[in-house]
Amino acid sequence: MQISGRKIDDFKFDRKGITPPLPILLRLVPLLFYCSIAVTIILSVIYLIEYRLSVQKRDSHTAQAESLAAETQEALKHCTGLESQIKIATDIESWVSGSRPLQPLIVEIARSMGPRATIVDLRLDRDPNAPAQLKLAIKLGTDSTKQLDFTLEKIAGQKYRAFSPQQTLGRNELDYIATLVWQDPSARSVQPSPPNEQ
Amino acid sequence: MSRIDIKAVLNFSAFRPEPDDSTASWRRRFPVMRTLFFGFGRNALSWRSIERTGKIDALEVARADPKEILSQTSARLKELTENGWCSVSVNTRYVISLETNLSRRVGSEELLKTNPRAVLGGRYERGKQYALTHNPETNSSILFSCEEEQTRRVETIFREAGFQIGRIACGTYVLLRHALGLVNTTKGSEQPVSTFLIVCCEGAVCALVQDQDRWLELRSRTDVYEDDLAPITDLLAPFQARLAPQIGITLIADEPLPGITERLAAVLPNRPINDLSQPGLLASLMLQN
Repeated sequence: MQISGRKIDDFKFDRKGITPPLPILLRLVPLLFYCSIAVTIILSVIYLIEYRLSVQKRDSHTAQAESLAAETQEALKHCTGLESQIKIATDIESWVSGSRPLQPLIVEIARSMGPRATIVDLRLDRDPNAPAQLKLAIKLGTDSTKQLDFTLEKIAGQKYRAFSPQQTLGRNELDYIATLVWQDPSARSVQPSPPNEQ
Repeated sequence: MSRIDIKAVLNFSAFRPEPDDSTASWRRRFPVMRTLFFGFGRNALSWRSIERTGKIDALEVARADPKEILSQTSARLKELTENGWCSVSVNTRYVISLETNLSRRVGSEELLKTNPRAVLGGRYERGKQYALTHNPETNSSILFSCEEEQTRRVETIFREAGFQIGRIACGTYVLLRHALGLVNTTKGSEQPVSTFLIVCCEGAVCALVQDQDRWLELRSRTDVYEDDLAPITDLLAPFQARLAPQIGITLIADEPLPGITERLAAVLPNRPINDLSQPGLLASLMLQN
């Protein structure tokens, strides 16, 4: 026969409300709780480290951006200076290029001055509405009209014809204003239209 | 759900049986706690502590009224246990008898605790607690009974001394069942066992005659011996005339009793003695189960 000897009879009067132990499977609940705490701590530490690194990177990038902005500003300022110089040079170039056809005329006017005559003021303006015409305004330091006639001959020698001349003779000064039109030798048959009389 | 319940879940104590849950083994109830095992006799109190590792310390015995011993030594004894948890082996004022034709319905041993009348019928006595061990091959059963009043008295004495009782058992009955389990290991009736089973536990003696798996006679006495073992042999000597010649002796005691085998050989000559006693055997059984 076989008798189990493992059982022990307990005669203690059992307390009411003794609860059986919870199923072993439910140990997952506190285990997951502790795991979640551990994961939370680990993630918080990782977040903190990453946050500090990000702040450092942001500060570094901000400083770099500020430095680059300053460099850009400097470059722009330099560029603006260069552009203004280019504009001045272009203007000079344009002026030189634009004034080149007038140089023989100006040279002739200058050479026409006699020993006792001076050019006080000389002005040549080209009207954008009538670019073929030049407005001549000259102030001569002389008390004689001979010098003016000589100068006008030289101007005519350069194929310029004067229209609407006005001259004023002052004390040792002679003001002369006229509109000059260039006579193109290759287009003799075409008569230039006279300027509008003002 | 209260805060205590949440704390119990988080410290995993909710997954262990409660300390006074009699359905769980002692080791499961107190896995890493120091506890005390008491032997409660009529004029003696013995104790041994169980370390956290499960190591069983040496037995200490005091001969006097247990209540007085506890009142004088409880402060020192409580240091040997955590939260005062202890187990008590009652070694006095109980009866172990051989009965026949008791109910063997499924679950009758469990029903014995809640409704003993349904199992014992006319043998039931009011105010008593019972435990049963059936012989699977015959209609005989070993019936343990003790007064409820005695159990309550033991509970009160220990509670007043500041202890918390996790288990009250009868050491002799525990050793008897353990010995029966060791002797009767083969299922069925092909290899019947014959032995004269002698159980000694802190002054109590129980003797059972088993012949060809049949339980023929049982005698149980409490407070038989103290230091002198002569009363044991005096109690067992009359069995020599009634025992069949081929029946050997199986001896089991909570602690090895020096000289008992020689004394038994003198009163029960020409019978082989199988001594199952081990140091701290009862405490070890209480700890494991």
